[in-house]
Amino acid sequence: MDKSIISAVAGSGKTTHIIKNLDLEKNYLVITYTINNYRNLKHEIAKKFDHLPENIDLYTYFPFLYAFCFNPFLGYKIKPRGITYDYPPPSKRYTKANQIEYYVSKNRRLYHNRIARLLEELDVLEDINRRIEKYYDALYIDEIQDFAGHDFNLLKSILTTDLEVKLVGDFYQHTFDTSRDGNTNKNLHQDYGEYLKEFEALGVEVNEDELEKSWRCSPTVCGFINNQLGIQIESHKQDSTLVEYIETAEEIEDLYQDDQIVKLFYQEHYKYDCYSRNWGDCKGENQYENVCVVLNQKTERFYKKGKLEKLSPVTKNKLYVACSRSHNDLYFISEEKIKHHKRG
Amino acid sequence: MDKIIKRIKLQNFKRFPNLSLDFNETLNLFIGDNESGKSTLVSAIDLVLSGSRSKVERYGLESLFNKNTINEFLESEKEYADLPILFVELYLNDQNNKDLEGKYNSSDLNTHGLQLLCEPREDLSSEIAEILDQEVDNFPFEFYSITFKTFAGKSYSGYRKYMQHLLIDNSLISSDYAKRQYIKTIYSTNTEDAEKNKHENEYRNYKDKFRREELSELNTRIQGDYSFAVDTGPKSNLENDLTIKEGEIALDNKGKGKQCFIKTDFALQKNEGDLDTILLEEPENHLSHTNMKKLIQKIHDSETKQLFITTHNSLISSRLDLRRAILLNSLSTDYVLLDDLSEDTARFFMKAPNNNLLEFILSKKVLLVEGDAEFILLKAFFEEVTSTDIEETDIHIISVGGTSFKRYLEISNLLGVKTAVITDNDGNYQVNCEERYADYLSENAKVFADQDNSVSTFEKAVYKENESLCDDLFAEGRRTLSVQEYMLANKTESAFEILDNKRDELSTPQYIEEAIEWINQ
Repeated sequence: MDKSIISAVAGSGKTTHIIKNLDLEKNYLVITYTINNYRNLKHEIAKKFDHLPENIDLYTYFPFLYAFCFNPFLGYKIKPRGITYDYPPPSKRYTKANQIEYYVSKNRRLYHNRIARLLEELDVLEDINRRIEKYYDALYIDEIQDFAGHDFNLLKSILTTDLEVKLVGDFYQHTFDTSRDGNTNKNLHQDYGEYLKEFEALGVEVNEDELEKSWRCSPTVCGFINNQLGIQIESHKQDSTLVEYIETAEEIEDLYQDDQIVKLFYQEHYKYDCYSRNWGDCKGENQYENVCVVLNQKTERFYKKGKLEKLSPVTKNKLYVACSRSHNDLYFISEEKIKHHKRG
Repeated sequence: MDKIIKRIKLQNFKRFPNLSLDFNETLNLFIGDNESGKSTLVSAIDLVLSGSRSKVERYGLESLFNKNTINEFLESEKEYADLPILFVELYLNDQNNKDLEGKYNSSDLNTHGLQLLCEPREDLSSEIAEILDQEVDNFPFEFYSITFKTFAGKSYSGYRKYMQHLLIDNSLISSDYAKRQYIKTIYSTNTEDAEKNKHENEYRNYKDKFRREELSELNTRIQGDYSFAVDTGPKSNLENDLTIKEGEIALDNKGKGKQCFIKTDFALQKNEGDLDTILLEEPENHLSHTNMKKLIQKIHDSETKQLFITTHNSLISSRLDLRRAILLNSLSTDYVLLDDLSEDTARFFMKAPNNNLLEFILSKKVLLVEGDAEFILLKAFFEEVTSTDIEETDIHIISVGGTSFKRYLEISNLLGVKTAVITDNDGNYQVNCEERYADYLSENAKVFADQDNSVSTFEKAVYKENESLCDDLFAEGRRTLSVQEYMLANKTESAFEILDNKRDELSTPQYIEEAIEWINQ
C-alpha cells in the first residue's frame, strides 16, 4: 500500500490535508501527538461529516500506545494502574531493561517513555501489527516529527504493515520528543536530510512540495523565518505585514496590556499576568491574529547579532513555532523590559 | 452480526474450582439435580454480561468464592501471594470489535471476550497481610477488587455493555424486582435511545397536562400555597410505570404459569432485535403440560438468539435436542456433554420414548433392572436386606430395557453415578454377564447376575429362593403349567401377588442381595 511522508511548514494546512483525505469508506486510524491538535482534528472531522464517524478512530499518541498496543497483549500479565508522564527517577539508573521495574513505577504506573521499549522487549510488535491490519485500512500520523527514541522504532515496525500510510509533520517543529531514552535514535533529529532518508529506507515516499507554503503566515513573516532562522517556508499570501522589534517602554506596556495580542514566552509564561503562552505549547494552535514574541536574555542576544540560526535546535524550533503562529503582525519585545510584571 | 458466547471459563466460582466449558451457538441445556451448578453457570453468565458491580456485591464475595479454596487457604501458611482469585471469563465469537479483542484473559488467547475478576487489592496489601497474621481464620473478602474488563483490557459496566441479555428466572416470578427488570430490558431492547428519551419526555408532559387540566379545579379549592400534583420524580418515571399486556390483560394480572409463558414467549420473538443472549431458569416452573409443549415448540423455533436453559424436566430435555445438553451432577465438578458419549448412545437417548435418562443423571446411586417384575419386587428385597425403606435412601430403582444397560453404564462412568445392574444370565453367565459388560465395569459400575446358568432368569431365581412361598401362592389350580412356568408367563402379575401377600416372608436371591449391599455401601 502507498506510504508517504509529507513535510509541511507551519500554517500550510496539515490538518486540512488529513481531513481532506478521510472518507466514510475505509477504516482510519489517526494519531496525533498534542492535545491541541487532537482537538483541532476532532473539530474538523465533526465539521466535515456532521458527526464523529465510527470508521475513524482518533487517538493521541500515549493513549493509543496504552489502550490499543499495550493493554490487549500485556495488560493481564503486568496489570499496571495507568501511565505516568513522569520520567524514571535517577534511582532507576541501575535497573536493567529486562527487569519489569525498568518500565513500571513504584505506584505501578507505566513510564510513558518506556512503553514502546516494553512492547519491543516482550515481543508483541507483530501482534500489534496484526491488530492494526485487522481493524484499519489506513494510518494517518500527524506531528510525525515528535516520534523519537523507541517510539520511532515502534513506528518503523508499524510501517511494515500492509496499510495505506500518510505521515505529516514539520521537522522544524520538533520541540519535544515522545520519549527521550538513552542513545536510541538520539541523532534522528540532527539533520533534516538524514531524517528523511530514514523514511525513504522504510519504503515511505517523501513529498516535500505539497505543503511547503503557509496559508497562515504572510510573506513578511516567512521572509523573517527564512532569513533569520534559516528555516525554509513560503507563503500563499500576498499581503505584507509588520515584523518589528519594539523598543519604547510605552509601546511595550501597550502590547503587554493588549488582550488581543498573545505574548509568547520562552518558559514560565504563567508568571506574567497577561494574555500569554509558552513558545512550545502553542504548537498546533491557529487562533492568533497578531503575535508578540517575548525574547529571553540569550535569545535577545542572538537576535540582536542576527544569529538566531545558531540557537540550539530545540530553542530555535520553539521560536519558529512561536513566530509562525501569527496570521498578521509579529512583534518582539525584551523580557528584561517587562521584568517588573513578573511574579514569584 | 450474531454475538455468541463460545466458552465459559471459571475459577473458584461457587462450587467450581476450575471449569472450562464450550457452548453451542444456539441452544444450551443445563441439566442436573439441585446443587449441581446449573444456576451457578447461568448466574456466572448473567454477572459477566451485566457488568454490574452492585450485582456481585449483592451476592457477596463470600457466597461466590469456592468454599474449599477458601478453607484450603485458611489451613495453609496464609501467605499474601497465595491468596486465591476468582474469575469468570466468557470467550466470544469474532465480532470485529477492537474493544473486545486481545489477550486480557487467563488463557493468553488473542480473542474476543469479557471477564469478571476478583483479586486482592495490591494497594491494600499491608492491611491484608495484617488480617492474615491474625490467629483466627479471617478471609479478607472486603479487600478484594471487583473488575469487569474486555479481553482488550478495557473496563466496562452496566452502562457501557457489549452484549444485551435477558435472564428469566421463573422461580422468582412473583418478585416485583424481577418483573421490573424484565419489562425494562424488553422495553430498552425494543427502543432506540432517542425514541426512549422522547417517550420519557412526552410522559412527563402528559402528567403535567393532567395536573394543569384535571387537577386545577381541585387545586383552586385548596387553601394556602398547597396543591396536588402528579409525581414526576425518578421513582415514578415511564420505565417504572410500564407494563406488558396480552390482549387487554396486564402481565401482572395473569396467573403465574401464564406469566412465565408470556415472558419467555415475548423474549423469544424474532423481532427482538438487540437481544443477543437469553438465560432461562427452569422454564417448566408453573407451567401445565400443554403450555410446556407450546413453550418447547417456541424455543425450538427460535434460531436467532443463543439460549441457555436450566431444567430438571424430562420432557424439556428430551424433546429439545439432547445433543445440546450439558449434564451436571452434584457429586462431581465436571460436566458431560452428550457428544462425549458414543454416537449411538447419544442417538439412543434422543429417540428413546419416555427415557429415564434424567432420573438416572439426577441420582447418586441407581439399581438398574430389566423389567417391571424386578422393579416391583426390588423394593421388598431392599427392605429385607437392609431393614430400611429404599425411599429413605438416595438410591433409585430404574427399570430400563435389558438391551440399554450399556448406554446407561456409559453415562454412569462419565458422571460417576454408582450403578448396579441386576440382570439375567439367560443361560450363559460367562457370555451374557461377564463378557458383554467387561468394558463398562468400574468402581462405580457393577453387574450382578446369578452365576448358575440353570437359574437363567429373575423369576427362576425368585422361585429357587422362595419355593414354598411361590407354591403356596400359585400352585393351586395349575394344570398344564408348573409354578415356575406360570411365573415366567405372568411376570408382572405374579410379582404383584408376591408383594401383596407374602412381602414379609420373601427372601432375597443371593446376587440381588450382593447388589443391594454393594450399592448401599
